[in-house]
Amino acid sequence: MDPAGRFSKTYSADVALVRTRPQAVALVLTLIALLVFAFMGSPRMLSVLTSIFTAAIIAVGLQVTTGFAGQVNLGQAAFAGVGAYCTAFLAQRFSVPFYLVIPLSGFAAAGFGWIFGMAAVRIRGFYLALTTIAAQALFPFVILNLPSNWLGGSSGLTVPPATLGSWRLTSERDLYLMALVVGIVMVAGAFGIVRGRHGRAFLAVRDDELAAGMTGIAVARTKAMAFFVGAFYAGVGGALIAYQLRLVNTEGFTLFQSIWFIAMVIVGGLGSIVGGIVGAAAIRGVQEILSTIGPTLAGLLPLLGNSFVFAAMNVFLGGVIVAFLIYEPDGLMRRWSILKSQYRRWPFPR
Amino acid sequence: MIDFLNYAVLGILTGQLYAIVAMGFVVIYRASRVFNFAQGELIVLGGFIVWTFVMVFKLHPVIGALLSILAGALVGILIERLFFRRLVGRSVFAMVMVTIGMIILLRGVMLILWGAHERQFPAIFPLEPVIIGEIFIPSPLLASGFLSVVAALALHHFFNRSRAGLALSAVSEDHEVAQSMGISVRKSMALAWALGVSLSIVGAMTYLSGKTLTYNAAEIGFAALPIALLAGLESIRGLLLGGAIIGLIQGLTSAYIDPIFGGQASAIVPYLFMLGVLLIRPTGMFGWKIIERV
Repeated sequence: MDPAGRFSKTYSADVALVRTRPQAVALVLTLIALLVFAFMGSPRMLSVLTSIFTAAIIAVGLQVTTGFAGQVNLGQAAFAGVGAYCTAFLAQRFSVPFYLVIPLSGFAAAGFGWIFGMAAVRIRGFYLALTTIAAQALFPFVILNLPSNWLGGSSGLTVPPATLGSWRLTSERDLYLMALVVGIVMVAGAFGIVRGRHGRAFLAVRDDELAAGMTGIAVARTKAMAFFVGAFYAGVGGALIAYQLRLVNTEGFTLFQSIWFIAMVIVGGLGSIVGGIVGAAAIRGVQEILSTIGPTLAGLLPLLGNSFVFAAMNVFLGGVIVAFLIYEPDGLMRRWSILKSQYRRWPFPR
Repeated sequence: MIDFLNYAVLGILTGQLYAIVAMGFVVIYRASRVFNFAQGELIVLGGFIVWTFVMVFKLHPVIGALLSILAGALVGILIERLFFRRLVGRSVFAMVMVTIGMIILLRGVMLILWGAHERQFPAIFPLEPVIIGEIFIPSPLLASGFLSVVAALALHHFFNRSRAGLALSAVSEDHEVAQSMGISVRKSMALAWALGVSLSIVGAMTYLSGKTLTYNAAEIGFAALPIALLAGLESIRGLLLGGAIIGLIQGLTSAYIDPIFGGQASAIVPYLFMLGVLLIRPTGMFGWKIIERV
């Protein structure tokens, strides 16, 4: 709902992404704050935020596949893994500069995702989700069973630092800036995709496949497209992970990781790009807080021990996912929009 | 030749073991259209429940096993009460996502209750193998073959002949229609989950008997997926055949292809097979064909 007294006079004003002056101010202030933070934050905080940015990119991709096109994807971590391996391979073997590696990794993952989306020609619903589980199972197997001088086998591949001219992006601040810039580009792109022709086709397929088909949408191709886009985002996120960790192996891209990405999308709110970012920040934030205070907590209560803290984290986050699905199925973004409209209707809330 | 027979028999019987696990999927799917992704965690939970009864309370394995199955039914009812009761009539998507949340939740609860270290699982079935001619068959596998046939026939009878079983099928078609026909959706779902978790406990016993119990056992949940899909998610007797086919393929792959390949191709073959089945015939061998009307 728009604030009172706001009317669009042109079509382009009506579909604009940033529609009001306060929105523009908030956007600019947020960007400035994020930029300033790069020079104010401690290295630890910067690295946490970097990991939130990469998770947000991957979650936004999942948002496109699952939230907009309605295709459950349990292989997002595998797609990210493909991107990470592609990054390691290109950067290590061919010294390709990072600004080429990142999009190439995205396309590598997108190609991988597209293959599984192509299965959509014959499959629908949760059967399609099962093929993504197969992707998740195939991914480590293929890597671990290829000759180890190809992709490093179980020990993984090291990634050389990204360089821009003579500038080596190795410090936490450099990585933060890189993730920030890539993140902004990717999020802006996501808004463009979901508002365009493809995005509307995604929504139509999500809401009713049969009806979408009858209105002339090529359902299978749309689904494959949704996987392509979602996996592209995962690949880009995987590339950033590779540059951040400087070591790629299969253990960072498990089924459990995929489930975490789904958790982010659910907590943020399905079908909202901002929801993907909010969800990634919320889940990663809680994970970071728990793993930071965990050792202190374990020290205070030696009876419980370290594994208890880890277990409590799982119970808490698993409980959060289930609770959101039952009580707040549209995620945090719905709460936010309710708050907004209540504020605007004040003094007549509801 | 005798080697080949040995591998084939072992493979088919291992397939029956997976078939029992897959029955947990199918029972819940047939009753609520919910694809329970947390099946693997339920197997681990079943393992811990049996371990607690037999190793901590020192019960006789048979009594412990029976009590565990009962406890499994209670867990199933609890899951329905806590989660799915509140989701009656909501989208399938939400319900399936809840099972995904359950994976993380159950893992955490089990870590709190039982800790992370691995333990020796009691030998529910005798350790010495059964020898027929020159074929060696480990007893747990033989038991799994026997149990899967018994369970499949019993469940088939239940779903196709009994009033409660037919009600479950109606619920899976449409919650609201079933409700309006006087079927209690909640009771049916509770029954389905009770059955499903009890089956997981049987699966856990046969799978883990005499082995070590770790959280990795959850992988069997996803390993059983190809069988459920090959059979067609609604068919219970089809699981026997599906288990036999996939078990045979997997057994022969691990015997003849793994040594050449130097890897664990046998772990991946079921998934490749599953992809093939999905692409050629998504409803599996005996699944229901659903005609969509607008």
